Amino acid sequence: MPDRDDAIRERERQFTRRSLILGGAQATGFLLIGWRLFNLQVLERGHYAPLADENRIDLQILAPRRGRILDDVGRPLADNREIFSATVTPSLAKDLRALLARVGQILPLTDGAIAEIVQRSKKQSRSRPVIIATDLTFDELAKLNLFAPSLPGIATEATWRRRYHGGESIGHVVGFVGSVDRYGVDDDAVLRLPDTRIGKRGVEAGFESVLRGTGGTQKIEVDARGRMVRTLETVEPVHGQDVTLSIDADLQTAVLDRMQRERTAAAVVIDVKTGEIVALVSVPGFDPAAIASGISEAEWRKLATAEDKPLLNRVVSGQYAPGSTFKIVTALAALDAGVISPDERISCPGHYKLGGRTYPCWNSAGHGELTIHEALRCACDVFFYEAARRTGIDKIAATARRLGLGAVYDFGLTEEKAGIIPDRDWKRGNFNAPWMGGETLLTGIGQGYVQTTPLQLALMTARVASGRAILPSIEKKTHSTESAALPFQTAHLDIVRKGMLGAVNEDGGAIENARLGPGRPDVAGQAGTATLAAREIVAQPNERPHPKRDHAIVIAYTPFDVPRYAIATVIEHASVSDAPAAPLVRDILNLVLDHGDGSRAHKNTTGESTVPPRGTGETHTSETAG
Amino acid sequence: MRTSRRPFTATAKLLRIHWPVLLATCVLAAIGTITLYSVSGGSFQPWAERHTLRFLVALAIVVAMALVRLEVWIKLSYPAYAIALLMLALVPVFGVEALGAKRWIEIGQLSFQPSELMKFALVAALARYYLWLPTDRVGRWQYVLSPVLMVLVPVLLTLKQPDLGSAMVFLALGLALMFLAGVPRAYFAVAAVLAIAALPVVWSGLHDYQRRRIEVFLDPGMDPLGAGYHITQSKIALGSGGISGKGFMQGTQSQLDFVPEKHTDFIASIIGEEWGFTGLLFLMAAYAALIAMMTAMAWRSENRYAQLVIAGSATSFFIYVFVNLAMVTGLVPVVGIPLPLVSYGGTAMTTLMIGLGLAMSGYVHGREPRSGNLGPFW
Repeated sequence: MPDRDDAIRERERQFTRRSLILGGAQATGFLLIGWRLFNLQVLERGHYAPLADENRIDLQILAPRRGRILDDVGRPLADNREIFSATVTPSLAKDLRALLARVGQILPLTDGAIAEIVQRSKKQSRSRPVIIATDLTFDELAKLNLFAPSLPGIATEATWRRRYHGGESIGHVVGFVGSVDRYGVDDDAVLRLPDTRIGKRGVEAGFESVLRGTGGTQKIEVDARGRMVRTLETVEPVHGQDVTLSIDADLQTAVLDRMQRERTAAAVVIDVKTGEIVALVSVPGFDPAAIASGISEAEWRKLATAEDKPLLNRVVSGQYAPGSTFKIVTALAALDAGVISPDERISCPGHYKLGGRTYPCWNSAGHGELTIHEALRCACDVFFYEAARRTGIDKIAATARRLGLGAVYDFGLTEEKAGIIPDRDWKRGNFNAPWMGGETLLTGIGQGYVQTTPLQLALMTARVASGRAILPSIEKKTHSTESAALPFQTAHLDIVRKGMLGAVNEDGGAIENARLGPGRPDVAGQAGTATLAAREIVAQPNERPHPKRDHAIVIAYTPFDVPRYAIATVIEHASVSDAPAAPLVRDILNLVLDHGDGSRAHKNTTGESTVPPRGTGETHTSETAG
Repeated sequence: MRTSRRPFTATAKLLRIHWPVLLATCVLAAIGTITLYSVSGGSFQPWAERHTLRFLVALAIVVAMALVRLEVWIKLSYPAYAIALLMLALVPVFGVEALGAKRWIEIGQLSFQPSELMKFALVAALARYYLWLPTDRVGRWQYVLSPVLMVLVPVLLTLKQPDLGSAMVFLALGLALMFLAGVPRAYFAVAAVLAIAALPVVWSGLHDYQRRRIEVFLDPGMDPLGAGYHITQSKIALGSGGISGKGFMQGTQSQLDFVPEKHTDFIASIIGEEWGFTGLLFLMAAYAALIAMMTAMAWRSENRYAQLVIAGSATSFFIYVFVNLAMVTGLVPVVGIPLPLVSYGGTAMTTLMIGLGLAMSGYVHGREPRSGNLGPFW
């Protein structure tokens, strides 16, 4: 095969040629570096040498104080406490052990502690300070400073430590801070400071850039041993800004107290007009103070791996099938598409047939002939199977997204999940399979692939109640801007709203137990069940073991006439949606209304056009704007 | 000439290893150990000892890899690439689950970076591709497109992380290997034109901090505490070192902690301060010798796969050294690329030494006609 040999020989020659070209390029690169080094080290030596010789300039970073996190009336949920710590710089100490032994006469330092400090100092450069004690008492601080001249290498420094108020009730909202895991060269210089703590969860993480502030600098002239000669220039740090939240510490505590009757549950209340989050509780929770004050690794693991996931903020990270609450979406989509008229009656025989399969209604006896209003009231499955089939999945999905489902809002709670609003494209992208008609039916009643977070459900409720595309906010708004109107006809929205009113207040309604009681505002809502098992065995839900039971979901808003608050709750593994979830919604709404009224009498809340204010003391911009 | 020959014995293989190349790596690692001893104020703790141990382990891996038959590496090339690609794609998924709290995030640091695996997997996969591709097809556009994709997909995935440094390494490695494999120069000209045309798009697609990094590079005074701080301090260390340096353990800049990251990415500025221009020239000579010897290794190999992995390994050494020294001297913006075998840190050392092990296996077996061009892997 002479041809082939020739080809191979030619290829060899080409490889040699090209590797020579590449080698030449590399040599050029090295020459460039060499030339640069020659410039820096030989030609410009006169410029740089004085900068490093004799007395040098050390640039120190001054830490900014982290901004506080306040509740709606300005009470701190997270603030800072100044603490003093003592450090030793090994390169400045002649005999580290002897020095520490002398310090031990001032501070309580055991031999073990000294050994540990010596050990730690060996793990880093000798010129970097090692902390020997933190949180010094005033007495210890004074003595150390007094004897400092005779203790070379010992220094004291003031730092800030994060402090949390409110325990578990604010844990999931505020989050917590922790050490910087790693930083890149171009990260904020403040992160290089060993005492810097950054937000890891919740608002602490979501508002990190606001809270952190900007580091200052101090130019210090130091001698050859690194001792300070004088300060040349100081640029003060810019402290972090406070963040005022829309939640209220008292209300959070009250809601948490009520919620703790459930094992695992989530509730979020949104201001229908502004989108501000009024209350946000997820149980079980955690106390950020316990984490921030130095939790042991074992305790942390316990928290992080516990079966009931106390670190999971179920309001924004918990994803649940919305169940019948999704029928609001289906109803609106069907009306909007014009495939169902308000007066049209659809018959429910207790099941629905499509493509050879039978889809059951939750009421196997059937509901008889229903209008859309009646179907919403009793959450009839068959009606919405038919409505979904007529509307089609893509229009249902579009309506769901307009109502706020299937999206994250980046409003400051970092663990937000998007959930799933399935449609043809989604199925093709995730399963590479075409959409099936039966899947439209399941989606129409909020089962199947649909996943939503409680936050999204509350947002959906608020959007239906207001007719506006409001956005969630955990920060208290200083000025109210009206959100854009949703592209739905008011008449259609009214039908859905009245259906939700019926579900609470009419006989045969799905969540009668959510009524607030005589003399209180009317509630409109819907209940859903996130089915965990096949529908066939739902027959005896309470006999199933706890972890296999279905989740109960309730959404509601109140007052009906002048919507003010929208709520979504999930009780995990509650089995029957109506049983524990509706009373929970009732109790939380009562707490929110009572709190919102402050000292005012209840009678003001119903019927009148004034918006009940929340909180006390402060002027309410929403009030003056509205 | 293609007579079949019995496989080499282990002893024969050991003799065929290019020992001068390994000696060069030892010299470089020793420079690292000496410098790390110096920056920790005259102590083997915390860095010098671990650095040495890591290097010895890595050296043993190179020798062990060299003894493995080349066919094994050829077979593993595509699977390794596929696994690396999959892991790169999964990084965003797993990244979400990483709980960041307090000090024991260290637990998570046991995980390794898929982008490192990709650095040698890409070289191996491209070499495997050109081993398969008949010479007369190398220039056809259909056969240029697939290696381009093999390079661009990991580049895009790492850019999303975002890891600009690794993306650049992939791109440079891919270009170098395709060039060596004989892709016609016209393609490179077209790529250059496209790249220049795409610059405005790239600039607008950069993250804020990436843009800022470039701006700070152009004007270090803009951010004296961030990236500009590193460059300024590094230049002072280098400049004050002069021709002959301040002497072992006499570098005031480094001893007083003025140079950040001095034991990792900025170790060259310490060498420059303590050993001066002379010391850095010696360091560069050691790298040049290593790369030149590896290029010669590639020439002497008869197997196309061996040629390309050796050249690829040599090129990755060059990329690391060049980018690192250019960064330390302020010629390019700060990117997190260490000085190979000298900087403290196991990641880059492991990556490069595994690449070297692959190259060495190619050198040991690549002159064996049995696994020559008409071997069973066409």
